Amino acid sequence: MELLIIAPLVLALVSALGSKWNKWLSVAFSLVGFALIAINSNSVYRAINEKNAFFNIVDMPWLGETIHFSLGLDGITFVLLLLTNILIPVIVLSLNSDKSPAMIPLILFMQAGLNGVFMAQDGILFYLFWELAMIPIYFITLIYSERDSFATTIRFFVYTFVGSLAMLASLIYLGSKSVNGSFAYNDLYNVQLGLRESIWVGAGFLLAFAVKIPLFPFHVWQPNTYTYAPAQGSMLLSGIMLKMGLYGLLRWYFPMASESIDFYQPIIMTLAVIGVIYGAIIAMRQDDMKRLIAYSSLSHVGLIAAGLFALNSSGFMGGILQMFVHGVNVVGLFIAVHIIERNYGSRSLNELGGIAKNNKAFSILFFLVLIGTVAAPLTNGFPGEFLLLKSLFDYSTTYAIFAGLTIILCAVYMLRMFQFSMLGEETQGTQNKHIPMIELLPLFILAFFVISIGFFPQWYMDIFQNSTKGLLNIISNAKGVLS
Amino acid sequence: MIAIAIVFFGALALLFLGINKEEKQLQLASSLILGIAGLAVFAESKSMISFDALFAWVPSSMIAFNPTAQVIAAVMAFMAMIIVNIFPAVKRKGMDIIGLMMFSLCGGILMLGSQHLVVLFLGIEILSIPLFVLAGSDKDNLFGNEASLKYFLMGAFSTAIFLLGAAFLYGGTGTMYFHEMLLRLSFSEHFGEFPVLVKTGLILVSVGLLFKVSAIPFHFWSPDVYEGSPNRIAAFMAIIVKIAGFAAFAQLLSAFAPMQTWYATWMLPVSIITVLGGNIIALVQKSYKRMLAYSSISHAGYLLLFLMQPIQENIRVLGIYLLSYGLGTAILFYLFDKYAQGEDKSVTIFSGISKSQPLDALALIVATFTVAGIPSTIGFIAKYQLFTSAFPSVKWGVLLALIGSAISISYYFKPFRVLFNSSSEVKGAFSITWKSVCLLGAVLGMLILGIFPIILNWIF
Repeated sequence: MELLIIAPLVLALVSALGSKWNKWLSVAFSLVGFALIAINSNSVYRAINEKNAFFNIVDMPWLGETIHFSLGLDGITFVLLLLTNILIPVIVLSLNSDKSPAMIPLILFMQAGLNGVFMAQDGILFYLFWELAMIPIYFITLIYSERDSFATTIRFFVYTFVGSLAMLASLIYLGSKSVNGSFAYNDLYNVQLGLRESIWVGAGFLLAFAVKIPLFPFHVWQPNTYTYAPAQGSMLLSGIMLKMGLYGLLRWYFPMASESIDFYQPIIMTLAVIGVIYGAIIAMRQDDMKRLIAYSSLSHVGLIAAGLFALNSSGFMGGILQMFVHGVNVVGLFIAVHIIERNYGSRSLNELGGIAKNNKAFSILFFLVLIGTVAAPLTNGFPGEFLLLKSLFDYSTTYAIFAGLTIILCAVYMLRMFQFSMLGEETQGTQNKHIPMIELLPLFILAFFVISIGFFPQWYMDIFQNSTKGLLNIISNAKGVLS
Repeated sequence: MIAIAIVFFGALALLFLGINKEEKQLQLASSLILGIAGLAVFAESKSMISFDALFAWVPSSMIAFNPTAQVIAAVMAFMAMIIVNIFPAVKRKGMDIIGLMMFSLCGGILMLGSQHLVVLFLGIEILSIPLFVLAGSDKDNLFGNEASLKYFLMGAFSTAIFLLGAAFLYGGTGTMYFHEMLLRLSFSEHFGEFPVLVKTGLILVSVGLLFKVSAIPFHFWSPDVYEGSPNRIAAFMAIIVKIAGFAAFAQLLSAFAPMQTWYATWMLPVSIITVLGGNIIALVQKSYKRMLAYSSISHAGYLLLFLMQPIQENIRVLGIYLLSYGLGTAILFYLFDKYAQGEDKSVTIFSGISKSQPLDALALIVATFTVAGIPSTIGFIAKYQLFTSAFPSVKWGVLLALIGSAISISYYFKPFRVLFNSSSEVKGAFSITWKSVCLLGAVLGMLILGIFPIILNWIF
């Protein structure tokens, strides 16, 4: 599985040196990660279900004796690896111009970083991959965004970098307390912190993750970045990148600073629920489709964060499933907007309309992804969101009621988007234009996941069910030590 | 010692042989000498070879190089080699400029091996005096003259303070040998109180050195001097002087290890002001070179943090940081020199070079990442090790330094605003010249050492 990191890096180098841009070759390059997973899936799946913990697969000294290049694997990691390596080829597939030669190496580079983040089993290695995943997306947004983007991208980078430095400080602090100064996952986990210490260490982690997710007051970088970034950049950011933050909560914050959970739980819950409502309300008023999706993403991710912080099994299960689902849906929406923009030259709801008239297949696929986002039953959004709301209900009824509004509000803005862009009278810009079928290929792939998760959520949940239980046990044990 | 000998005699020989030659013809010869000196001292540090017999006459109680000092000396020699090599030569006869740089380097290396206050003083002077001349070596440039005079006055002033402090230290401890000072201070520590003379002396000596490494509030000379001097000399000052200064500072302060908690009380504020001040002032600079000057000030702040811990145990961390800082800064100065030929000195000089000069653009990105300490480059490894080693002694200092390095991103990344602009220039044909090999080597070095830091464990 360590090839998941090495192979994309090598391929990134190869594609950076090649001068000519070839679409199918780059799709093939990006598929290597998925192929590696597919080859190993049998043995990995068995190992995951046997061990129920974050077990080690590679371990070698990297810097001195204290920092190891060690990778681990469990169901949660596996599902996110699956998400990354499915979405990256889809995103590459949606890239349809040879005007962006540097995009492919950067995306592949990022794939390596993301795979690393999800597998890292050493604190410093985690930080390292965390940053490595950010560098390519910084350059993607910087080079290919649609207007002078320096202010937007530097704000994005500084926000996330401040967050990651805070996390680094927490990791260094934990490392200075651990046995032999080791940064290995289990050694860091075994560090016993007092409540005050734990609150500080937790603050470092939470700042990094809250910026990345993004949670409500830390989201300032997000709408502009999503809007002005190139379509593929927005997909990478929202589809995969923000899962790093949620994954970080699960894997690093909860076990490492478990003593501080009781302190932060009400704060984060409130912020997350505020974010849910705030994102939805702002999304209802947007004209720019990309900006609309950005705010809707803010709203959905807030719900996932709230569910994780409810700290019960339905919250964790729903949260992890919803991470996968949100990735699929938001990438699907961005692809649909990208297709519309490429064919009709606009993504403003005012200027669009009536696209469905000439493009039946596209409108069906778009509607499928969209209805999945709204979380209608039998689509992929439903099981995850249902579990999340259930977990919130167990935590507090008030929160559940407010967060439950998200489904209604989401239906409002999503259907409004569909109505204004696809239905109604054709406008000048949208008359008599057909979208080539080949461009719909990525949407077909995503539609498969929308339906299959909607009908058979248990297939997917089986992957990470045992691991989630294990993780939840670890967290409740650690909390038990204190109380 | 061997490095000093090779560099010194090499510089002498080149001065006489090259009296009628263009500097360009001698660039290769001088970089060869520096390279040999670096390799020799590096081999000695790994005890592959020993020159002790040659230098038996040197009193080892006054000048002695420990292995880490030898590696740092090798780093300095290689840095000087890179600086001599990649910057374009001056179009005139004689090689006084490169010769003076090499003499100055001798002083820097001497500082690394000093075990005695007078030798340290000698080293500082040998390092500085050629630099007073070099700062004004572009005689037609009025700012160069200003820089030279400013540097000279500040240098003389700080030397006087250093000497006063040295006298106090001698009065307080009765010795000028570092190892005897350490012994006597351990006695004083035993009785719980340090003599006032020693405290005063240490403050004064430190102030003298803080001037040299341009820590805030002793930094006012440095941006002006950097800006006025020729780019090559500015790079030399920013790199060699800082490496030598900090290595010598560490050498000196390890003699005062018993007083560590005391001197940390005033050095921590200096360090924090230097980190935050350097980074914040750098934010508002228009000129890229001035920005580099303030960036080098902020790096002095990070390095000061290092000095407030058991120095000798972690001395290799200092070496790694100096190596990373030197590599990154050298490349940035070189790129600035290459593109700032006109009036414009702001970041817009880099406009569109990703299209016309991809190698330079790559070098700019990697070097920026290195000085900013972003993972995948040696800069991260260096900064990480510096912070973790300092963390147990100065927790708040490290936290504030982290904030400082977050601030630094926003000015380091400024060139990226224009780097990817479409450029009117046609794509320059990629030619393999000695210069581009050197540049590529430095870039690959920064990346490889960042990805496989295990190599650093072997080097240091």
